[in-house]
Amino acid sequence: MDAGFGAQKAGDILLQAFVAMGKYVYVEPMIPAEISPPARSKPALSGVIIRLADFDVTNIGNDTDLILASHEIVLDRRLDDLEYNPKCHILLDMGDRENNMDSYETVLKRCTKEGLSVIPFEVDAVSKVTIKEMGGKGQNLYYLGMLAYIYNMDEDIVKKEIIKTFGKKLREDILEKNITLYHNGYQLAKEKVFFRFQVESTPREGEKILIDGNTSMSLGIIDAGIKLFSGYPITPASSVMHTLAKDFPAYGGMVHQAEDEIAAIGTAIGSYYGGVPAITATSGPGLSLKQEFIGYAQAAEIPIIVLDVQRSGPSTGMPTKTEQSDLPAVIFGSHGDYTKVVISVANVIDCFYAPHLARYLTEKLRVPVFILSDFQTANSYKVITKPKVAQMDDPDDIPDYVLERFHINRLPKDIEMVRLSQAIPGTEGGMRRITGLNSDAQGRINYFSTTNHRGHQVRNEKIHHVRRALTRPEMFGAESNEVLIVGWGSTRGAIEEAIHIASKQGLPVSGMHLRVVYPLPLMLKEVFSKFKKVVTVEVAYGDKLKPSPLALLLRAETLVDVQPMMSDATGRPIRPKVVVERVKEVLK
Amino acid sequence: MNAQTTPANAPVTIKDLNTENPRWCAGCGDFGIIMGLKRFMVERQLAPAHTVNVSGIGCSGRAPNYFNTYGVHSIHGRPITVALGLALSRPDLNLFVHAGDGDALSIGGNHLIHGINKNFKCVFLLYDNEIYALTKNQTSPTTRKTHPTNTQPQGTFLNPINPITVALGLGASFVASTADWIPDHLTSTMRAAFDHPGFAFVHISQRCPHFDPNNFDHKTSTWFSFLKHANGIEPDRRLADKTEVVEHDPSDMIAGFKYAAAERRYFGLFHQDKNKPRYDEILRNVVKNAPKKDRSKILDPYLI
Repeated sequence: MDAGFGAQKAGDILLQAFVAMGKYVYVEPMIPAEISPPARSKPALSGVIIRLADFDVTNIGNDTDLILASHEIVLDRRLDDLEYNPKCHILLDMGDRENNMDSYETVLKRCTKEGLSVIPFEVDAVSKVTIKEMGGKGQNLYYLGMLAYIYNMDEDIVKKEIIKTFGKKLREDILEKNITLYHNGYQLAKEKVFFRFQVESTPREGEKILIDGNTSMSLGIIDAGIKLFSGYPITPASSVMHTLAKDFPAYGGMVHQAEDEIAAIGTAIGSYYGGVPAITATSGPGLSLKQEFIGYAQAAEIPIIVLDVQRSGPSTGMPTKTEQSDLPAVIFGSHGDYTKVVISVANVIDCFYAPHLARYLTEKLRVPVFILSDFQTANSYKVITKPKVAQMDDPDDIPDYVLERFHINRLPKDIEMVRLSQAIPGTEGGMRRITGLNSDAQGRINYFSTTNHRGHQVRNEKIHHVRRALTRPEMFGAESNEVLIVGWGSTRGAIEEAIHIASKQGLPVSGMHLRVVYPLPLMLKEVFSKFKKVVTVEVAYGDKLKPSPLALLLRAETLVDVQPMMSDATGRPIRPKVVVERVKEVLK
Repeated sequence: MNAQTTPANAPVTIKDLNTENPRWCAGCGDFGIIMGLKRFMVERQLAPAHTVNVSGIGCSGRAPNYFNTYGVHSIHGRPITVALGLALSRPDLNLFVHAGDGDALSIGGNHLIHGINKNFKCVFLLYDNEIYALTKNQTSPTTRKTHPTNTQPQGTFLNPINPITVALGLGASFVASTADWIPDHLTSTMRAAFDHPGFAFVHISQRCPHFDPNNFDHKTSTWFSFLKHANGIEPDRRLADKTEVVEHDPSDMIAGFKYAAAERRYFGLFHQDKNKPRYDEILRNVVKNAPKKDRSKILDPYLI
C-alpha cells in the first residue's frame, strides 16, 4: 500500500492473529524512510513480509507465495525484488485502473511475461463509499479481511485483535466502520477468490511471548539493572527510547533525550562515572559522532554501553533497510590504539540478554562494550519462549546461561586497570581525577614512554582476558568439511536453515555463527583448519578485491584465506535458498 | 541547598585541595580562578570526596587535575554533557564545570544552549581569555576584532560573540561576570553561583599573558564597573571605591541585557531567576512519581 494508509497496522493485526492461532512468524517490515512519500509511486511502498510456519522460524525464508497489492505501482515495486515463487498468487486491487489504464496494462504484461497469474479484484461499491468518507482510511482493514479468509482464519480471532489494537484509540462508530470493512473484505474474498491456504489452529505449549527486537532489548536493559538511557532520535534505534520512555520510570530508570548524539553518550559516561549504569543507543551516523567519546571512555576507564542498531550505510544510506556494515567502525572507529568488546544479536532472545553481558563486561573491564543489532532484528516480531529474567543489580549477578548463550566463560576475578584506584565520587579519601591524557598507575597525567606503553599493555590485556574466556562459537553441521560458512548477528537463522537444506542435499558444508564479534576466540584458526574453504555470509558489501568486513577481520586474525561468499549490499535479510545456491557455486 | 560539607573536626584547608603545581604559564589567569574556587570551598567546607570538577580541553581543561577532589577532564567542548550525567545520577555531589571560550562557545556551543535551557544544578565557569592558547594563539569566538592571531594574522575578522548576552538570550537562570584578578569578587561570585538552584553561568575574564598580554589592564579599574544589589554580588572590597558601582536588580532581565550589551564591561550579577524549572529535578520526579512495577514480571505484558 501507499505509506500512511495503515499497511503496517494491518500487518501487525494479521501476525498477532496468526500467533493467537498457535503459529510462528518471521516478519520483515517494508517501510519508507519518509513519513508520506507521494502516493502511487514506488518509494511509497509500505508493507509487511510475513513468513508463517507451524514451527519456530529463524529467518525470512525464500520466496513469496502470496502478494496483495493496493495498486499496480506497489506491485511493480515488489516484483523488482525478484523473490516470488513461480506459483505465487498475486491479488491486485483494480480500483485505480480507470485512471491509469496504460500503467496497469504495463504491469499486468510484466506479470504475464514472468509467468505470474494475477487475480484482479475491486473493493465493493458500498465499502468504497465508506473508505472515501474516512479519507482513504480503512482500506487496510478491508485487505485484512481478504487475507483472513484466504488464510482460513477464524473471523472472530482476527476481530478480537482488531479491537485489541484500535479499541482504545478509535471512536466507537469509527471502529465499527473499520470492522464492517474487515467483514466486507472477508466476504469479497469468499465470493471472488478461488483459493485458500489450509491453516489450522494449533494449541501452544509453555509460556510464549510475542515481541520485536528493540522491545526485547529495552526490557533487557531494565532487567540488566541499567538505570539511565541517554539517546538522540535516530532510525532504527529510536523505538528503544520510546519503549523505555514509557516503561523505564516504573523500574527506577531514567530516559534522557539529549541535544545531539555526542551529548547522549557524554551524559551516559557521566552517569557511569558516578557509579550508575548507563547505556546510549544509536545507528550509523550517530555512531560516527560518538567515536571520540568512546575512545575517551576506554582511556579514562569509564564503563559505557553503546547499542548500535545498524542500518544501511554509508552516510545516511537507507535508514529503514538492514545491513551489517558498521563492524569496521566499531572495531577500528576511534583514533589511536583503542580497546573494545563487540557483542552481536542473532535474534530477539539475544536482544533481551545482550544488555546483561554488555554490563558485565564493561564494568569488569572498564572498556566500551558495543551491542550490534540491525534494522531486521530490531523490527522483527517473533514468538519465543518467555526468557527467564535475571534481575541483575550487580555485574556478578550475571547468570551462567547468559554467558553460555554468548559462548563466553566468566572473566578472572582480578583484572588489572591502568589506574590502581577506580573509586567513584563520594568515596572518602578516594579522590581521583580522570583524563583522556595518558595516565600513570596513580591516575596522574604522564607523557613518559614507559608509562604510555604500560597503559596500552594493561588495556589490551583486558581484551586478551575476553579472548581467553571465549569458547568455541556455535557451529552447524560437521566439524570437518569442504566448506565452512561463517556469519555473525542476524544472519544466524539463514545460515542454520541453509545448512539444514544443504545437508539434506548432501552438500559438504558446515556453518558457524559468532555472537561476540570482537575479540575473536583463540581457537578459530584451528577450527578453520578442518575445512578446505572458509567463506562468509554477510549483509555488507565485499567483492573479490575487497573483503567484506567479517572476511577482512577473520583473514587478519587467522591468516586463513577467508573469502566473502555473500556480501550483497541489498539492504534485505539473507534468504537460506540463496545461501545454498552460493554454496553450490563455491563447491564447483 | 544540601551541600556536602566536611565534619567540623576535620576542616578542609587550601593545602588539602592542592595536587601538583599547575602546568600553566606564569601569570596565567587560571591560577586566580582555581584559587578563588578553592577559597570558596574552604569557606563553605565543601567535602572534597563529594565534589566533582568537570572540564573540557584547553588550558582551562586542566583545572580538575589541580583540585584534590573527584574530577573528569573530558573532551573538547563536552563537559556540560558529562556534568549532566552526574547531575542526573548523583544529585548528592557538588558539581563545578570548567570550560574555556573555545569549549563553551565554539566546539561545544550546542551543549551550552541546552545546558542553560535544562537548568540542571551546577556551577558553570567560563574561563574567557579570548584566545585559543593551548593550541598556540588562534582566533577564538571571543577574540576582539582586528587582534592578530596565527590563524588570522591580518587581524581577527569578526566581532566577538558576547557570552553574557548569549546566556541571557538563552534564558539562563543565573548570569554573572567576574575576573581572575579580583579575588574577593571572584569568591563572592562563586558563593552566589553555588547557592543558586540551577545552572549558574559565571563568565570570568581571564588573562593570557603569554599570547595576549595587553588584553586586560588588570592594574587599573576605571574601564569596568560593578553591578550591585541586595540580591546580587558585593562589589570587590579592594576596588569598590576606585570605580563605578551601579545598582542593578538581578530580577530585571531587560536591564541586565542593557549592561551586558554595553561597550563598557560590567562585573556582577546580571540576572537571576530562582524559580526556573530544573530538568534534573523533573527527570527524577518522573521516576519518583511512576507507580513501581515488579521486575520479575517485566515480560508478562507480552505473553500470548
